[in-house]
Amino acid sequence: MRRGAVWWGAIGAIVVGAQFVRFDRTAPPVHGDLVAPPEVMRTLRGACYDCHSNETEWPWYSQVAPFSWLLQRDVDEGRRRLNFSEWDEYASDPGTAVAKLSEIAASVARGGMAPWYYRVLHSAARLSPAQRELLRQWAEGAAGQERPSA
Amino acid sequence: MTRGWVRGLLVGALVVGAVAARADDTVPKITMKDGRFDPPELVVAADTAVQLQVTNADAAAIEFESFELHRERVIQPGQTVTVYLPALKAGRYPFFDDFHKTAEGAIVAR
Repeated sequence: MRRGAVWWGAIGAIVVGAQFVRFDRTAPPVHGDLVAPPEVMRTLRGACYDCHSNETEWPWYSQVAPFSWLLQRDVDEGRRRLNFSEWDEYASDPGTAVAKLSEIAASVARGGMAPWYYRVLHSAARLSPAQRELLRQWAEGAAGQERPSA
Repeated sequence: MTRGWVRGLLVGALVVGAVAARADDTVPKITMKDGRFDPPELVVAADTAVQLQVTNADAAAIEFESFELHRERVIQPGQTVTVYLPALKAGRYPFFDDFHKTAEGAIVAR
């Protein structure tokens, strides 16, 4: 009984201590947002922008460890890999814009994005087949227009 | 007169060729060979836009990627691509091969 209390106490202390690990949630500026048809933008904002932009909306549980750590990791990695708020940076090299658009088309077609645990809590991220097809067609079409000669 | 004209044309062609070759020498280049980037660190002038040539001399496709530079290019075996870089502030900008995580390098702007 006493040993159990010690263990529970230790776990409680770790959980409480973990809450003091805070992250700077100040959003970087949006200096070159993606431009796309309104329906595409609506779909991207609902399903992708939390992790892949500087316009992240942090839910209440993002303030509670360890969820705060997991969400911060996902947003940091998401922004590093693809950040719609900095699309102008990709577009300054046409080959990069093509690569990003091709990856978007492939990810959406595969069903790999958004991650399942995000879709459980965010209905807007549960893309219908029609929405996936919309994004895939837009991304492939835009990639075709950007494709450089070399 | 014809001979002089031809001679002038040859001299002109030599001069143009020499200038073009010299200009090509100034284009920064990175080559992926044997799973490594060469050079592993490439120095470019800060505050100056640059066209970088990246060549894949290996037998498998690579993905030249840099989060800091916002650049990502898939390069097939034997292919050379031109990557446009904006004017960079002085600093170090890592890049890597996203298909083979062990290959990495950096562009140093100074």
